[in-house]
Amino acid sequence: MPKQEMPSGALTLLILRVLQTGSLHGYAIAQRIHALSSEVLQVEEGALYPALQKILLKGWATSDWGISETNRKVRFYRLTDAGREQLEAELSSYTRVHDAIQAVLRTA
Amino acid sequence: MSEFLRRLTYLFHRRRHDRELADELDFHREMAARSGGVPVGNALHLREASRDAWGWTWLERLGQDVRYALRMLRRSPGFTLAAVLMLAIGIGANVAVFSFFDLLVLRPLNVRDPATLLRFHRRGIEAYAFAVPYPEADFLRRHARTLSAFVSVNTTPVTVEGEDKPLNVNFVTANYFRELGGAPAYGRVFDPAFEQDPAAEAVVVLSHAYWQRRFAGDSSVVGRTLHLNGKPATILGIAAARFGGLGSGISDTAIWAPLVSHPYFVRNSKLLTDVSNESPGVQLWGRLAPGQNPKAAEAELRALAAELRKQYPAAIWEDERLVSEPGGFATSLISGGRRGTGAEQRDPVYPIFALAGTLTLLILAAACANLGSLLLARGVARQREISIRAAVGAGTARLVRQLFTESLLLALMGAAGGLALGTAVLRWLLAATESPAWLDPSPDWRVAGFALAAGVGSAVLFGLAPSLKTGRPGRRPGSARQVLIAAQVAASCILLIVAGLLGRALNHASKEDPGFEYRQVISLRPGLAQGSYTPARAAAYLDSLLPQLRALPGVESAALSSSPPLGNVTISAVWEMDGRRIDVGMNGIDENYFETMRIPLLRGRNLRRGDTQAVVISESLARQGWPASDALGKTLPLDKGYTVVGISGSINAVKFGDRDSVQAYFPIQEADRPNLFALIRTSAPPGTVAGSVATAARALDPNLSVEVQLLGRNFRRRLEGAEYTTLAVGVLGGIAQLLACLGLVGVVAYGVSQRTREIGIRMALGARPAQVLAIVLRQFAVPVCVGLAAGIGGAAALSQVLRGRLFGVSHLDATAYLLAIGLFLVTTAVAAVLPARRALRIDPLSALRHD
Repeated sequence: MPKQEMPSGALTLLILRVLQTGSLHGYAIAQRIHALSSEVLQVEEGALYPALQKILLKGWATSDWGISETNRKVRFYRLTDAGREQLEAELSSYTRVHDAIQAVLRTA
Repeated sequence: MSEFLRRLTYLFHRRRHDRELADELDFHREMAARSGGVPVGNALHLREASRDAWGWTWLERLGQDVRYALRMLRRSPGFTLAAVLMLAIGIGANVAVFSFFDLLVLRPLNVRDPATLLRFHRRGIEAYAFAVPYPEADFLRRHARTLSAFVSVNTTPVTVEGEDKPLNVNFVTANYFRELGGAPAYGRVFDPAFEQDPAAEAVVVLSHAYWQRRFAGDSSVVGRTLHLNGKPATILGIAAARFGGLGSGISDTAIWAPLVSHPYFVRNSKLLTDVSNESPGVQLWGRLAPGQNPKAAEAELRALAAELRKQYPAAIWEDERLVSEPGGFATSLISGGRRGTGAEQRDPVYPIFALAGTLTLLILAAACANLGSLLLARGVARQREISIRAAVGAGTARLVRQLFTESLLLALMGAAGGLALGTAVLRWLLAATESPAWLDPSPDWRVAGFALAAGVGSAVLFGLAPSLKTGRPGRRPGSARQVLIAAQVAASCILLIVAGLLGRALNHASKEDPGFEYRQVISLRPGLAQGSYTPARAAAYLDSLLPQLRALPGVESAALSSSPPLGNVTISAVWEMDGRRIDVGMNGIDENYFETMRIPLLRGRNLRRGDTQAVVISESLARQGWPASDALGKTLPLDKGYTVVGISGSINAVKFGDRDSVQAYFPIQEADRPNLFALIRTSAPPGTVAGSVATAARALDPNLSVEVQLLGRNFRRRLEGAEYTTLAVGVLGGIAQLLACLGLVGVVAYGVSQRTREIGIRMALGARPAQVLAIVLRQFAVPVCVGLAAGIGGAAALSQVLRGRLFGVSHLDATAYLLAIGLFLVTTAVAAVLPARRALRIDPLSALRHD
């Protein structure tokens, strides 16, 4: 199965979602999304890091320095309360749109 | 922490953030390589994209642009200097006008809490007066609730010991200094307790400037005695240097005295008790009580005036209102003590400023248009640099922004220069006209903001179009040039025409016969009213003075008048005649007036001694008032039924050359005698007789403040203002035209160089020199003609404001227009043909080889 580009807008939602289970560094976020989507979704670095900077700017996540599994200093991203609220909001709006599209696809 | 704060924090730590981001991306790349994934793309580009998220990229780009622009400007200092100088002149002229407007209208006076001060004047149904009789002012003070305090000022000329000429002393209420926040520099100032104590000794306060001038800053004069009108007064203190206070006109006050001591200093003064309209009265300011507004104050004072009218039905007018204007600004000082009937005649401050502002804006527009052409030409020269920058990846928007940043920098330097230049010019003008020290032209935030706005505005005007043209390589700058030429032509054309009009008017005024002879006339004001003469005493004084004057050597004749032409006093009224409103200059005269002033009596008879209901009117009034019939024997539309007994020649006393100015001459009213002037015609040069005239007037009463003026000198002084204006507009017009010509030279030269090949071909095919010139110049004919037409139209519209100030020259005067247009055409033609001649020297052969 060919690897798929990430639909725009969805990336922030996915990043927030994978951070919900605990703090991760950038590479791990990309890997996690890749793995959880059964290797369908490929997160480009060119999209990931600007999106992460935006999340930091909005205050949805904070970053701390930690040690990676390869024993290297790296930045870990942790969801904030504001980020959790944002995730809730984006999830519910995504679900609504998704259901609506499904309804159209089924019945049309 | 809000988003904005996070953004700011990022800005201050952006180097660290940058390092961290680079680190993080390195890690990502390592991990990806380890797991055999695709290599990361351009790391630098990725970092830039991530930085973009924080929204500070514009600042970095701006920094780059500014650095680059500074480098470019430094590399061509000649161009930079020329551009900044041009802008500084254009912006400076505007700054000077705006600063002056700011000083008069916008900037509060240096008094305590100027925003709550109101200046009041009286307005009835048919009359208005800027002075209020003191008893009325006092009544208002005692009863008004919407105003917390009143300040009254009466200005009276007083003979001060040790001074040749009478000084204007401001008689003020005792709360004056406290209410206006005027602290003493030395000694004390008046305090409200003073007014309650009539037995207290007479005191005066000196202004800082007068104290410096008269006593050289000697602080021991406090407590010393100074004689005013011969009466001793103790110097109570010296006011602070910056304190200008409120007073009469835009002038320096020398001495303040308490209003209650007016009767002490001024003999027979009835200022404190006279409620009639003949009283000199006071200028009245009020301070709004907290929470009140001017409307409420006006309503209350209207009711109070109606209340007072019950007591003084003759003095207080029917339905009298006390109209307020903001009192904390210099404009509230200008109106002085004017009074009259009919509609108020306000100083046309705003139209004059509008005209001056428009003219100076034209200069700026011309400078901008010229600079725009220069930048376009530079843009062509920089085409190579631009193409290289475009080739290495700069987008159009980026290039345009870069070029506009250069313009903006130029404009800001120009604005700074303009601010300095404009302030310097205004400072010099104020010093030259001996303006008071408190009128300080140092720029405030309004003027600085104005200069900045003018700079940014000009940057848009001169820089945006060239930046757009140049920033998009491959587009030929054609139409922008044409528009710029037209704009410059229009601007300089308007300025030249206005200068021409003013020059014509000046020439006209200094040559035209004003209808009377003024060169050999002295005007004498004995100052009887200020000396508080009763009408009867004044009559006796004048009866003995006039024969003495006539007996002086070199004197031909002498006459009396209540408002001599070219003087400071004008009495005018608006008469309704068959539905037309005629503004009539009124004058009370004796039987010698016409002969002394050399005004011809055209028909009927002169006024005689003993006439009471007779009037002589000017020919212009006869024509306007009774267009269809003979005015002789008619009755004037006034209560007292004056009969026209004679018709005199018309004079242009108020406005030179104004053929519509009309006069009516009445017999002298008894009550008016203390206010009369004596007019003396001399056979000897008037300057040699003036001294003995003054001596004769003082000999009869040494206490009088006698004032002698030469009408010839007044006439010249009246023209001086016009001379300055004409000179200023002429200089501006010259600068604008010079700029326009320089611009045209450059543009035409450029046009020739662009079309060398085409011209060469045409010459090879046998085109004659005239045809070659025509080819080169044709493309400039249209914008020049369009600009010329726009300029003529603009001048015709603008100069309407000048009507009535052109000394009778029409604002559409053909000679002025033709002269200005002629000058314009000649200079423009020279500027266009000189560089165009280069086209004739083109060698067809080498032109064809030209790439």
